[in-house]
Amino acid sequence: MTDFVELDVRPILKAGGEPFSQIMQAVQGLAPGQGLRLLATFKPTPLLNLMRSRGFGHEAHELGGGDWQVDFTPAGNAAAAPAATAAPATAAGDDAWPAPAREIDNRQLDPPEPMVRTLAALEELAPGQVLAALLCREPVFLFQELQKRGHSWRGAFEDAGKTTYRVLIRVGTPPGAAA
Amino acid sequence: MMAMPGATLSRWTLAYFAAAVVSLLLAEGLMAAGFGYPSAGIRAPETLAVVHCVTIGWMSLLMLGALFQFVPVLIAGPIHDNDLPLPALVLILLGLLTLIASFLQLAGLLPPARATFLIATVLLGAGFTLALWVLGRTLAGAWPLNLPAQFVAVGLASVAATAAFGIIFTLGFGGWAGSPALARLHALGVPLHIIAGLGGWLSFTAIGVSHRLLAMFMLSPELEGASVRWTFRLGCLALAIIIGVGAVVAAAGHDPGWVLALGGLAGLGCLGLYGRDAVQLYRKRLRPLIELNSRMAAIALLHLAAAAILITFCTLSGLLGRSVGALVFLSCFGWLSGLGLAKLYKIVAFVTWLECYGPVLGKTATPRVQDLVVEPRAVKWFWLYFAAVDVATLCLFFGLVHGFRTAAATMCLATAGIALELVRTRRLSNVKEPLRLPQGVREPRLLFTVIAN
Repeated sequence: MTDFVELDVRPILKAGGEPFSQIMQAVQGLAPGQGLRLLATFKPTPLLNLMRSRGFGHEAHELGGGDWQVDFTPAGNAAAAPAATAAPATAAGDDAWPAPAREIDNRQLDPPEPMVRTLAALEELAPGQVLAALLCREPVFLFQELQKRGHSWRGAFEDAGKTTYRVLIRVGTPPGAAA
Repeated sequence: MMAMPGATLSRWTLAYFAAAVVSLLLAEGLMAAGFGYPSAGIRAPETLAVVHCVTIGWMSLLMLGALFQFVPVLIAGPIHDNDLPLPALVLILLGLLTLIASFLQLAGLLPPARATFLIATVLLGAGFTLALWVLGRTLAGAWPLNLPAQFVAVGLASVAATAAFGIIFTLGFGGWAGSPALARLHALGVPLHIIAGLGGWLSFTAIGVSHRLLAMFMLSPELEGASVRWTFRLGCLALAIIIGVGAVVAAAGHDPGWVLALGGLAGLGCLGLYGRDAVQLYRKRLRPLIELNSRMAAIALLHLAAAAILITFCTLSGLLGRSVGALVFLSCFGWLSGLGLAKLYKIVAFVTWLECYGPVLGKTATPRVQDLVVEPRAVKWFWLYFAAVDVATLCLFFGLVHGFRTAAATMCLATAGIALELVRTRRLSNVKEPLRLPQGVREPRLLFTVIAN
């Protein structure tokens, strides 16, 4: 059985706030083997992708009234987490990410220019370094490229109006290059 | 296997686009040759052959191909199955050919064979079911749906309704529909079939998708507010009244005219709100200079507005019966096909660019998407197309058969010009060396997308 730490971000969301940093704090505070039970006012799809890349499986249920409960389980807990959640773990493990080595603002650019700039900026960083990019929408095609190149990422909309999407990308070692 | 986050490239979308453009050229060629309306009657089998070449062959294949690529983008998730669209395409094309052959038999141009309508029904039914299965399962993976995806879901329900009406009619033509209710539906339900197809499937889906596409390509703020929700609700109401109530009324043997009027009112409300939103998207855009696809989409939107105003005017003044051919033509070619060609021009360039240069972005110098197209050369074909559509519509209003045929031939020429530009884009012919094929980039195939993992 997984032991869950519960985090209810519904009050923050209802007040128009952005609970991303609280969620990440809670994730970093988890003991080995511990899971996170998140209560939100919508199904947090970007977060699910992000948590997957950090090695967490999830089970999401709608609670009624539009509220959702998502149980994140570390991939090691085989009983609860489906095997499908094996994450592209890095040699350094999944501890706290360093502060971004570079920040870029791609909000005023036409697609696909934001993707071009982001990938070009990543080429200039060393493995383990983090790039922060501001975008005006969820970069659905970028994720594919990041995955193929072995980078990990976390991203979410910064505001309720969904005008700014902030993605943090940690440069990985290219697939095949690592042992 | 971990599910890939984000959207995938669609493998067979280009094949759908190619089949669609060939169908459009064929239909325009037939109209130019004087086949079908206005040379023949509006419900003559020859006309029905041309109409289905346009609605199934051109517009539905274009829309399906676009949705296989666009639904994953809308939901930020993977497509349910990237291979099934190919057998769906083959089934739909075989079904369409059989359906056209069936109409030609009815016209006495081919020797009669009663089974062809039945075969067409089975093939088209199977093809659309397969396509709807892939799109439906893709959407189901992203429940609860965001607003643009809800438009698509209603569009898919409408194409199912359109197909159901079509199957009933086809069985009627073949003499297979024995029940009196089905016979009454065949006699009175044709407007429902047309509205479910052009309104529910093609226009409503195009409205939902264009909200996102226009915002994306003009850098306008996304519209997700109350106005879009009401556009959605009024459109659903209109479709529910016309398709749902209309079918019951027609099957009972009553003329569904008043149902159409009632549904039409809700539909006008939906279009009014959409028009306001479209103006907002163009006004609030962050880039002052917009690309060909957005400029030509604006021309298509003007044709939608013109069609809505003319349909209302003709209904109120009792001219609808006389002008219905011209009005349907204007909706099909000015609005839906105009928007389709405009977006096709952008989508082909975008997916070709992503397929070819995505893997090497940031590692080497790559062309921009706009380097794959030559807009000043393409734009003249678009202007010629829209001008020919307007002339053809006027000729239909005033019964000028020869004028219509000349205009249709001009549309065919303009479409061929646009098609050639699409092939050049796909072949990377417009990209200057040495950017064209940097190391690690393969020349794209014309009809399908190579998806590297």
